[in-house]
Amino acid sequence: MKFYICIKMVPDVYAPLQIKEGELIMDADRMVLNAYDASAVEEALVLKEKHGGEVEVVCIGPAKASETIRKALAMGADKATHILATGDEDYDSASYAKILSAFFKDKEYDVIGLGKQSQDTDSGLTGSMVAEHLSLPYTTNAVGLEVENGNLVVKRQGDSGQEMIELPTPCAVTCSNDMNDPRIPNLKGIMASKRKPIDQVEISSLGIDEAELQAHTKVTSYEEKPARQAGKKYEGEAEEVAREVAQLLDTEANVL
Amino acid sequence: MSTILTYIAISDGKLKRSSLEVLSHCKSLADASGASCEAVVIDANASSFVDGIQKYGASKVHVVEDPIFKNHMNTPLLKALANVMNSVNPSVFAFASTEGTKDILGALAANQNAAVIADVASFELIDGGVKAKRPVMAAKIMNNTEAKSDKVLVSVRSGSYDLNESPESAEVVNIDFSMDDSEMKSTLREIISASGDTIDLNEAEAIVAAGRGVKDEDGKALISELASVLKAGIGASRALTESGVYDPSLQIGQTGKVVSPQLYIAVGISGAIQHVAGMANSKVIVAINKDPDAPIFEVADYGIVGDLYKVLPPFIEEIKKIKS
Repeated sequence: MKFYICIKMVPDVYAPLQIKEGELIMDADRMVLNAYDASAVEEALVLKEKHGGEVEVVCIGPAKASETIRKALAMGADKATHILATGDEDYDSASYAKILSAFFKDKEYDVIGLGKQSQDTDSGLTGSMVAEHLSLPYTTNAVGLEVENGNLVVKRQGDSGQEMIELPTPCAVTCSNDMNDPRIPNLKGIMASKRKPIDQVEISSLGIDEAELQAHTKVTSYEEKPARQAGKKYEGEAEEVAREVAQLLDTEANVL
Repeated sequence: MSTILTYIAISDGKLKRSSLEVLSHCKSLADASGASCEAVVIDANASSFVDGIQKYGASKVHVVEDPIFKNHMNTPLLKALANVMNSVNPSVFAFASTEGTKDILGALAANQNAAVIADVASFELIDGGVKAKRPVMAAKIMNNTEAKSDKVLVSVRSGSYDLNESPESAEVVNIDFSMDDSEMKSTLREIISASGDTIDLNEAEAIVAAGRGVKDEDGKALISELASVLKAGIGASRALTESGVYDPSLQIGQTGKVVSPQLYIAVGISGAIQHVAGMANSKVIVAINKDPDAPIFEVADYGIVGDLYKVLPPFIEEIKKIKS
């Protein structure tokens, strides 16, 4: 099977951050491969190892995103396409979905895999937007993938249980990080990644009307979350504090 | 007159409380702006839910009823939602942010060329669109997002708004729906439900959540007993769903369910930021943990430092006494 996995470079959410006059200030060097995308890459590699095929990653991002692409190649992806952006564009999920869809329009593939959301913004929109633009069967929030008789069988975590969904190819699927632990590239993988091809593509070459990429949404500012005050800690003899807190839940917090 | 439309999700034959929370908020927005507050329900027995929906202020309820909607499947749901948008033409279409919603929201926005803001903590109307607050960066901070469009889709985290009854006698509008087998893009083979009759965590008033400190069957039994005394849902940290101790559908956190019950009891959970991102909006948080420095105590209203195996038995007994 031919897999295209869409990956994104995102800020490390564990890096220290601060907000100054509504602007988010973070260390621009701490960029990582989106964890959900890493799970999508891992799952495609596992299926390729089992059934054969090819895994190609696609990344929209500035020049620096080549580091993120190398990470996926070092994990074992065969090749990559880097769709160059400056990083200063006001793109939202809809813009990214249109760029990806334009890229895929004349490509041949069995599965387009994506992370179910990016770990910085948690919107989770791009995957199903791409599927809709390309009229592909799709599903989201996959926690397991299998290939059976040329179809993709997805275990999806739904609201009240896991759904087993069979998708004919070509199809699209968005992946949860609950389906695997992405491999850590070893030295051999890192060395090999340096020889793997990265095709560079300009957005302007994809034949999209500039106005089409206009974002519908805009982040206007950032703010601190109203802080949750730490309450009281009860230490001491287990039996005593347990009964005391139970009483307080009734008389003080009024939640029993 | 513009229309604010709310999608009412049905789960296991019941109205989702989180949808009614969104409807309650939309009703107040509609009243303040002079818009029409309407709702849509799509289900195999959709018309049976109209009574429950009109209680929360919808003046018109759009009904799409077809056996195909017995289980969640994105192809028919998308088709129905697109039909509804074409016929109602809402300026704002609001959803509770369930897994069902997350499955179709982007596709619907693309299909309708609508602006979309997902998973918000609050939203309001502005001139020409919607303004919302969203938790980002593992819910460490909020951003303010604006969508300027004559069609805006917005999905709202559960627990963001209070239920507010405002009875109407709604006009019911049936929207035709039909779908050929040939239009079905995928096949739902089966649904593997979480074991036992579990309470939907998004809807639960109280949740007992287990973490790494819960080590064995005895620990699980204590969690179950506490949950049963409180009529609470059971949740778990990623450590316990990954190791198979609890079903993956019970995972609470950034990657699992985001919950906001009245009472959240974290048992043996250290409080990694991904977990806290999924429960920090609970009204009252109780933490039970051996480690006095566990980060969970930073968000807990009541922190009990102690071994859960020693704390839970008297805690359960005392709650039983209070309840009786």
